[in-house]
Amino acid sequence: SGGARMAAGAGSAAGGRSFSFKVVLLGEGCVGKTSLVLRYCENKFNDKHITTLQASFLTKKLNIGGKRVNLAIWDTAGQERFHALGPIYYRDSNGAILVYDITDEDSFQKVKNWVKELRKMLGNEICLCIVGNKIDLEKERHVSVQEAETYAESVGAKHYHTSAKQNKGIEELFLDLCKRMIETAQVDERARGNGSSQSGIARRGVQIIDDEPQVQSSGGCCSSG
Amino acid sequence: MFLSLTLFSLNRKKMNLKSERRGIHVDQSELLCKKGCGYYGNPAWQGFCSKCWREEYHKARQKQIQEDWELAERLQREEEEAYASSQNTQGAQSLTFSKFEEKKTNEKTRKVTTVKKFFTASSRTGAKKAEIQEAKAPSPSINRQASIETDRVSKEFIEFLKTYHKPGQDIYKQCKLFLDAMNHKRDLSIEEQSECAQDFYQNVAEKLQTRWKASFFFFSCPRALHWVTPQMLCVPVNEEIPEVSDMVVKAITDIIEMDSKRVPRDKLACITKCSKHIFNAIKITKNEPASADDFLPTLIYIVLKGNPPRLQSNIQYITRFCNPSRLMTGEDGYYFTNLCCAVAFIEKLDAQSLNLSQEDFDRFMTGQTSPKKQESDSFSPDVCLGVKQMYKNLDLLSQLNERQERIVNEAKKLEKDLIDWTDGITKEVQDIVEKYPLEIKPKNQALAAIDSENVENDKLPPPLQPQVYAG
Repeated sequence: SGGARMAAGAGSAAGGRSFSFKVVLLGEGCVGKTSLVLRYCENKFNDKHITTLQASFLTKKLNIGGKRVNLAIWDTAGQERFHALGPIYYRDSNGAILVYDITDEDSFQKVKNWVKELRKMLGNEICLCIVGNKIDLEKERHVSVQEAETYAESVGAKHYHTSAKQNKGIEELFLDLCKRMIETAQVDERARGNGSSQSGIARRGVQIIDDEPQVQSSGGCCSSG
Repeated sequence: MFLSLTLFSLNRKKMNLKSERRGIHVDQSELLCKKGCGYYGNPAWQGFCSKCWREEYHKARQKQIQEDWELAERLQREEEEAYASSQNTQGAQSLTFSKFEEKKTNEKTRKVTTVKKFFTASSRTGAKKAEIQEAKAPSPSINRQASIETDRVSKEFIEFLKTYHKPGQDIYKQCKLFLDAMNHKRDLSIEEQSECAQDFYQNVAEKLQTRWKASFFFFSCPRALHWVTPQMLCVPVNEEIPEVSDMVVKAITDIIEMDSKRVPRDKLACITKCSKHIFNAIKITKNEPASADDFLPTLIYIVLKGNPPRLQSNIQYITRFCNPSRLMTGEDGYYFTNLCCAVAFIEKLDAQSLNLSQEDFDRFMTGQTSPKKQESDSFSPDVCLGVKQMYKNLDLLSQLNERQERIVNEAKKLEKDLIDWTDGITKEVQDIVEKYPLEIKPKNQALAAIDSENVENDKLPPPLQPQVYAG
């Protein structure tokens, strides 16, 4: 049934349900994005014996209530100079995990910028998770719990507290995200079945990088006729 | 050949003077049917009413074909004259240009009909048509000679565009799309059609100047970024370690190899292989799994260092023809996305993205200085190990260079010695020959002299004669 998977990620086999989701990992460098996924996929932290070659693209297979889920986690370069490349990464994502360091106010600010951009570019189709990492350093906290949670709620995102070091809150984070993505995918599917909302499908379909001149708009002639 | 030349220059003229050309209006007198039948004429029918137009159409088409040929020939003559004069005088450039200007005003009256001709789809022919080149013209009414001419010009235009790789293809595609669109719009009024044409010209001109500049630059001088060092990109690989530099070389080989593969899938496999080598290099250097923070800068560095052939085309090709699900979800898709990011980053590369001042960036860009010399001291010891190694290698190279020069000099000296020696020997031989000239006395004289010394020759008995006895 692997072949039946669709680019949009919500493909379903005839009998059992099977989903494949793309999740991007966004956040400043050094907030612990890599540790988070390594902990989740390999259950390892700062281990000298980590055999994994890389932690930038990891996959995980889950079974949630009889629904098979293939999760592909895409890490992104967090340096400021690569910020402009974001859209290339998060295109066609089903979910985004926005990580900040609770001891670093700036990293939370970055998350806010990402949220704004994602909502603008992808609308409500994408499930957002805001994650305050490094709660093992609670004493040095610089971002208040109240502030973070209020903000998350205001933008329709869920907030999580995690510690990759102590393995806290990570399973919950991914499980919750998967459930929400399944929900979104099913709503999308139903809409598609009814034919009531074509926009969602069109938008979720394959998008080709459009880095060449757009004939429609640029050659004004073509649209006027 | 002449025709395409002429047409390019025509085109150029148009772009320069587009603002002038924008407002083409039909004269009031043209509102009534030209034939004077009393009905209103339509600009789309060259000022005739529908009935008269049908009658005139056939005649006019033949005439237009003739006119276009005359125009083309006249332009060729002028072009040749201009060329001849540019051979003779220095001021030819302005002379040629003023000639164009003059030509342009001369043609003003003609232009209206020419444009009409072109946009009345059924009658587009020869010069005008070829100007926006179209190999497979959908119009069936072109006469045979014109279409041969058009094909030839189209081919030349395509050849010309080939040298610009992707931008060239874009131009060709744009032209083709535009012509097709125009073909569908033959029912529009001339004003609207000419608006379209002008918009098209302007757009192409603008794009040539701005949008395509990046890719032109990226292809025409791809080595211009060779000076970017791993340090500028914060690449977390230490090429001092032999295994790492080995991996880097392998990664570069893989990314270069991509061009030779035909199927998108194979091309993707090359990207994946390259990525794996990069991960290995990072893992050996940092001793931990590579994150995207490490991977992307390294990939950018590899792309800059490897300068893979036709990278843009390959990416376009994969994007268009690869199975979308493979591109969007799989591991291969992730690496491909990173490669797209790397290329996007390189295309927009500026001083800020390399943490350089604008002055430094400009100086490196123009090749005035090399960052290696300038910055090697300012790096921390472990970072500049690579730079130091490079200096060592450079020293070795310069020593080798010196030695080679010495060898070359010695060889030249030896050659000279040899020549001198040969000359010396030759001279010596000649001297000796001159000093002791070879005298050869005649043979007979010598024999006579021996004989003549015998005083009593006469008294000797005569020599014996052989006698024959009959047996």
